[in-house]
Parts: sequence; C-alpha cells; structure tokens
Amino acid sequence: MKDDIYMDGTERFSKSSRRRFLSALGVAGVTGLAGCNTSGEAGTGTNGSGEGTATTTDGNPPWYGSGPGAFEERPTPGGTSMDDMPDLSGTLNVYSGRGEALVGDLLGFIESKYPDFEVRTTYDSAASLANRIVTEGQNTPADVFYSVNAGALGFLADEGATESLNEGTYSLVPSEFRASDNSWIGTSGRARTVPYNTNALSADGVPSDIMSFPDHDEFAGKIGWAPTYSSFQGFVTAMRVLEGDADTREWLNGIQNLNVEEYSDEFQVVQAVADGEIQLGFANHYYTLRVLAGRPNAPIDIAFTNGDAGAVFNVAGAAPIAASSKGEMADTFVRHLLSSEAQEYFAVKTFEYPLVDGVDPVGRLPPVSELNVPNIDLSKLSNLDETVTLMREEGVL
Amino acid sequence: MAGNADTSTAADRPASSGWSGGSVLVVLAGLVAVAVLLPLSWIVIAGFRVGFAGALDLLLREQTLSIVVNSFLLVGAVTGLSVLLAVPLAFLTTRTNLPFRRFFTVALAMPLVVPSYIGAFAFVSAFGPQGQLQDALAPFGVETLPTIYGLVGSTLVLTLYTYPYVYITTRASLKSLDTTLVEAARTLRHTRWQAFKRVTLPQIRPAITAGSLLVALYALSDFGTPAIMRYDVFTRVIYVEFNAFGRNMAALLSLVLVLITVAILAFERRAGGEDRVQTDRGHGNTQSLVRLGRWRWPAAAFCGGVTALALVVPLGILGLWLVRGTDGVAGGLAFELQYVGNSVGIAVAAALVAAIVGLPIAHLSARGSSRFGDVFERASYVGYAVPGVVIGLALVFLGARYGGGLYRTGVIAFPLLVFGYVVRFLPQAVGSTRASLLRVSPALPEAARTLGRSPFGAFRSVTLPLIAPGQVGGAALVFLTTMKELPVTLLLKPPGFDTLVTQVWQATASGHYGHAAVPSLILLFVSALSMLVILSMEGYDVK
Repeated sequence: MKDDIYMDGTERFSKSSRRRFLSALGVAGVTGLAGCNTSGEAGTGTNGSGEGTATTTDGNPPWYGSGPGAFEERPTPGGTSMDDMPDLSGTLNVYSGRGEALVGDLLGFIESKYPDFEVRTTYDSAASLANRIVTEGQNTPADVFYSVNAGALGFLADEGATESLNEGTYSLVPSEFRASDNSWIGTSGRARTVPYNTNALSADGVPSDIMSFPDHDEFAGKIGWAPTYSSFQGFVTAMRVLEGDADTREWLNGIQNLNVEEYSDEFQVVQAVADGEIQLGFANHYYTLRVLAGRPNAPIDIAFTNGDAGAVFNVAGAAPIAASSKGEMADTFVRHLLSSEAQEYFAVKTFEYPLVDGVDPVGRLPPVSELNVPNIDLSKLSNLDETVTLMREEGVL
Repeated sequence: MAGNADTSTAADRPASSGWSGGSVLVVLAGLVAVAVLLPLSWIVIAGFRVGFAGALDLLLREQTLSIVVNSFLLVGAVTGLSVLLAVPLAFLTTRTNLPFRRFFTVALAMPLVVPSYIGAFAFVSAFGPQGQLQDALAPFGVETLPTIYGLVGSTLVLTLYTYPYVYITTRASLKSLDTTLVEAARTLRHTRWQAFKRVTLPQIRPAITAGSLLVALYALSDFGTPAIMRYDVFTRVIYVEFNAFGRNMAALLSLVLVLITVAILAFERRAGGEDRVQTDRGHGNTQSLVRLGRWRWPAAAFCGGVTALALVVPLGILGLWLVRGTDGVAGGLAFELQYVGNSVGIAVAAALVAAIVGLPIAHLSARGSSRFGDVFERASYVGYAVPGVVIGLALVFLGARYGGGLYRTGVIAFPLLVFGYVVRFLPQAVGSTRASLLRVSPALPEAARTLGRSPFGAFRSVTLPLIAPGQVGGAALVFLTTMKELPVTLLLKPPGFDTLVTQVWQATASGHYGHAAVPSLILLFVSALSMLVILSMEGYDVK
C-alpha cells in the first residue's frame, strides 16, 4: 500500500508527497450519517472513553500525552500554561459559534481551574450570534464572542462591536492570524483542502491549481461543494481578493458546468467523497480527519492546492465585546484560549492547527510553514455580503 | 342551519353603549393583535435600511423570481397533497367501518409530532442516493437510487409531517356533522359521492381550509426541510442572507414573505367562504357509518402505508442512531433529565398564554359583530408565516432596545421566549377556539343574557364550559409545536437553559448523531401525549 509509510504516525507530509498523509488513522468509532450542520462546523469523531473535564492527578488536562483523541505519542506542549496567566473570576457571558461538543470540555476545564469562575455560554451559529450582538447593540449581554471563522469576527470588528486585546494576549499569536488593530484574534487554524476519494483518484489526479478545476471535464458530475456554507463563502471571498471578481465568476460558472453536486455543509461533502457519491470536493481540512477518525478505512484523503484560494488558511477566533463592562476578564479569558492546554486541545481533539509557538498539529498534518498558503488579509474575508451577491448573480445560490 | 348563520351576530352584540362587553372585547383582541405584530416593526425598520435601489435590485432579479415560483410550487404541492391525503383519512377514521379505526385515528395524527427537520433528515438518511435503503439493496446490484432531493423530496416530507393539521380539523368537523342531512340526500337518490359533494363537503370545507392554511403557511416559512432537500425557496435565500450578516436584507426578504402571506390569507378567506355552520342539533349522529365492503382492507392498507412512511422512517433512523450509540468524547452532549423539564415547562407556559390571549380574537372573529374580528384574526397568522430566525432577531432587537438592564441580565429572557412562541403559534390556538365557538349556538349565551347575566357572566357560565375542549385542544397544539421549535429558542433562551430540541440541534450540528437519539425520542414521546389530548378533546360533545 502506498500509504504504509505513514503508518508509524511520525512521518510528516513533505513537498514530494504533498497530498498523501491522512490514510489509515487507527481510531475506531462510529459516526457517518449525512448531516445537517448549521453551527458551521462538525464535531470530532474521535473515540474517547468519556473523559470528563476534570484534571488528571498531575494537574494536566486529560487530553495530554497519548491519551484518547491523540493520534500519536505527544510531548507536553510548549507555549504558556494557564498557570502562568492571570486568574479568572466572576461570571463571563460567552457567545460561542463553536458547538458545545467541540469546546464544551475545554470551557469546562477552564472553569474547573478557578472555583469562583463561571462561563455562561450561549451556543448558536456564529452568523446568528454576530447578527444578534449587532442587533443587541450597547445592551448586549455578551462579554466574549467565540467564532468558527475570521469572517464573523471581522464583521463584528467592522461594526465596532469588538474591543482591542492587550499586548500580553495578542502577542502570543503571529500577526497574520489576528486583526491589524487586535480587535479579534485567531485561536486555532483550518486549511482549505480538496478531499478526494482514493478509489477513484490518485493524489496526482487532483489538480494543484484551484483555478484550473473547471478545465477538468473528467470531474463532470463527480465533484461536490456546499455553496451556502460559510467556510465555502469565505473561500470564494478569498478567490475574489486574489483573482478578482471576473475570474471568480468564470470559476463558479465553470464548476457549475461540471454539474457540481450541491450539499448543505462541508461535512456532507466529505461524507459524500468517502461514500464514493462523488470523487472530490471542496472542504476544510478537519472534516476529512473527522470522517477518518470515525471510519478508519474510508477511501478518502486530502490534497492542497498551491498558493491560491484553494489553500487559504483561516482561523477560529475570539474577541472581547466592546459593550461589555468586563473588558479585562474577557481579555484574560481569550488569553486562556491561547494557553498550552487549550492549544493542545485544538490539536488533538478538533484536529485543528494550534496557532501559538510550541504546540504542533497532529503528526499527519503538515505544519503551517510547509503549506503553500496565499498571502491574504483574513479580515478581508468578512465581506461575505458582496460574495453572496456575486454567487447569487451567477446562479450558485 | 344555514339560516342561523346570519343571526349569530346578535348574541354578543353590546346591549348598551359605553364600555360594554363588545368594546372591551375589541380592545383586548386589538391589544393582542398589535402585540403579535410588534416584531414586524423591526422587520420593516431593518428592511427599509436596505434602501430603495438595493431593494428594487433584489426584487427584480431573475433569481428572486425563480425562488418565488419555487416557493409557490412547494406551497401549492404540499397544501394540495395534504388535502388529498388528509380528507379521505379523516373520513375513513370518522365515518366508516375501517378496521383498527381507533388505532388509525391516533396513528394518522402522530406525524405532526415529528419535527419536519428530523423527518427530512431521516428521509435523506434512508432514501438518499447512498442512504440506508441503497445500502440494503446494494447486494442486489442497486448502485444508486433516484434522487430524493428537490421539489419531490421537500413536498413529500412537508406533506407527511403537516397533513395532520388538515386531518385534525377535518375530523373535528366531520364528527360534528349533522348526518341526517346526508341521509336526506341519499333518500333523494343521490349517490354516496354526490351526497358527499353536495352535503358533506360544503359543511367541512371551512375546516379543510383552516387546516390547509396552517399547512400552506408552514410550508412557506419552513427552512429546515428545503435546506436538507436542497430545494431553493424563499426561506433559503433569507437564511443565506442571514448567514452572510445581511440581516437587513433578510428582513427585507421577510417583508416580501409577509406580503405573500397576506395574499394567501386573502385567498383563504375566499376559498373558505362563509364558515358559520352551526346546526340546531349540535353534534351529528355518528351511528350511521359508511360500510366499506370489499374496500375495507385496501383502505386499512392505505392508512397503514401513510403511517408507516411517516413514522417508521424517522423512528427507524433514530433507532439506528440509538443502537450505534454515542462516541464518548462529545463534552456537554450527555443527556440530562432536566432537558425534559425545561422543554415541557416552557411549552406549557407558551400553550397557556396562547390559549388565554387567543380567546378575545377567537371570540370577536367567531361572533363577527365587528369587522375588526376578521382583521385581528388574520393578523395573528402573520407571525406564523415569518421564518423563526427573523422573528427571533426581531424580538432580540425589541428586548435589547426597550428591555434595558432587564434584558442584559436575562431577567426578561423567559417572558420574551414565551412571547416569541406566542407570536409564532397563536393562530393554532385561535383557530381551535374559534372553531369550537362557531359550534356553540348563540342562542345559549343569549338565553343567559335574558336571564339577567352580564355579557361576561353569560360568557363565563355558558360559553366557556362549552368551548373548553377547543381551548384545551388548541393549547395542546401550541404545546406540541413549541416543543419542537428551534430558531426562536436558540436566539432567546437564557444561557445554560437547554431543552430537548436544542440538544438535538447541538448533537446533529456537530455530527454526534448518537447523542441526538435520546432527546429526539423523548421529544416525540411527550409530543405524542399532547396529541392524545388533542384527539380526546374532539370527542367532547358540544351542545
């Protein structure tokens, strides 16, 4: 098997084999029905043993080391521990666009560290919460907004609804993953990818230039996307920024001419690829990892395109809300999301990219530095409005 | 009987000038109507922010036209099919010697307890191109199934889970039918079909249209089903705008939806025609059942088929999720008994409030002494036809703008949430109460008046006991729909207040289907109990 070299769990993605590294993840578990996903991201499919939020005897989170959810033996992460951050106390209202299944354990862990600290979390889709915060105006109960993407954060920042972070917080993350005025910050990363069915295609069969996809007639009827999905709209926005509106329209029409299959979210796109319903699609990287975590033998792998909109690296992130009277506490809370503990959590529990120095992504993912990511201002991806208009004009929506 | 219609207005007409019962009623009903229309104010304000040019641009776009056409196609198909399905089913379960009649009476109403998004989900899982059915057929060489997506799937699912609205109203009407008229027609050499068409149908038509209206407006405002079935309708475009932070555009589009609703309401008024059909005999004689003869078992098979399709598919998929189990890691998704209490508590509150505030509107409209009655009754439907996410955001706006610290600290969260449910589901309470009022002969409270009772006294001691079953039935319907309501719940619930439906959402949104099974099944079970209440109320004799 061509993927055997990756079985030891340490082999890294490299330039020469840039598209094959996800196979044979030895994690059992069952997920698998096509899903309706409104929250903006699907959950992990890892097979844990129901560990709670309590700390282990050494005070470390239960997701440290080679425990459930980790793909390999992992060292204690670097970065700044929560122990070295200011304490949290009182009550904090967090509007979370990330689901409870994804971040519930992490928030519970933070609460368990501070006896007199309570997080009151409102879960909904990021778009819904962003709309809600702006609609609530000065009277919003929200102290912190936690989002699945930079778009919703950028939107709130543009509306003047967010507050700049302290240097002690924002300096933990490289500048390309936060707002230029530090009015929001990325807490974990996700790459755009092309998931493909390994029974139908080889790695070399996937084009490495996103703009060339419409020219590949062999994909007619065998390619899928989720145009109503915010991650996909963010990707189209990136294409508009990088290639201009005219080329973006041409691309959208070209893909439509391939009789593209439409899905309501990208978890479904990836499921359809794994099921052989389609051969390839457009989706964030972690969906494929989650499908593989649930169905280790699913014939699916991911490919990256080169330095174009197909390879955009977006972030989930957080921002303190300007109308809140608990600005300092909100800032400290966001800083906790950048702690070693939280960053390791994102790496092994949600298969995302950690963003602070000293914490690595799971072994089968290439480090960010090896991805050929286009140079793009993430906050520009917040302008979904014009993208939606453009997509509607081309009959995509 | 028809002659009574014109005199029905006399009963509660104010006997004297000043603050008589009649004008108090108008004021009360007016206040309720204004209250449930309040969210429209935000929709108008936000919609106008789009500006004239932007609005014109959007409305004249070819795409907009096509989604309007799609929406009408869906609404028409769902409503038409629901009538074609529900009226025969109602007839079979009330007026014939159908085998297992009692069982089917209940079973055929039960699809209403299934949230349509769970239904759509289950149908895609079961009948999708690579769904469970295809899996099962794969050994026989079936590679793929005909697509369920699009108009066909949306219509199928919405029809299966909303036809009970027509079924329930039609049944109630058939049970109160004066069958001596049918027998008279038969002695006048009418065939059964002619008798049905010329005697029964005109009497049950108002009930059919009332149920159809709920079906049509549901189909118009539902987002989940067309989204899962990938069919481009109005709500989907609203949702796309909402997700792209275009809440003003979403509001503008909702405004168009409101206009369509008003058009449908006007159309229903015509189709429903004169709906005051009381008989002096009160309840009809249900002894004379139509004997189905050799059609007995085919009819039972038809009822069984509908039940199986609507109930077995979602129950099967939920069962599958349950059997496959949970995958452990999903923090915070573990089931807690508290979710049941939260769901039931908030739904009971919504049902009580809806039943109480719906009464003045129902009374005014049924006793038609003022033209306000019709206007107020129609107004109560508007909130029902606007997508929940827009109603929710409108209430967020009103709460935050005028609620001050009470909103920010969450003190008024529960009242606001209950209000949201009432805005969405009031017409169900009004409709049921109104129907039972129409069956009470105005001569009865009139008699009480002549015996010296005040209008309120006459209402309380005579009318209210007679319409109580209708009130309870309507409240149970509001309870049932509140139990499965999602968008308003998500936008207005206080943090930490989780219900069955928010847990189902959390679990399915994150792909942890195993965690969705238990809350879904409990949701269905509790809703099924309330459906039993609805059905038992229709048997109550109103005389």
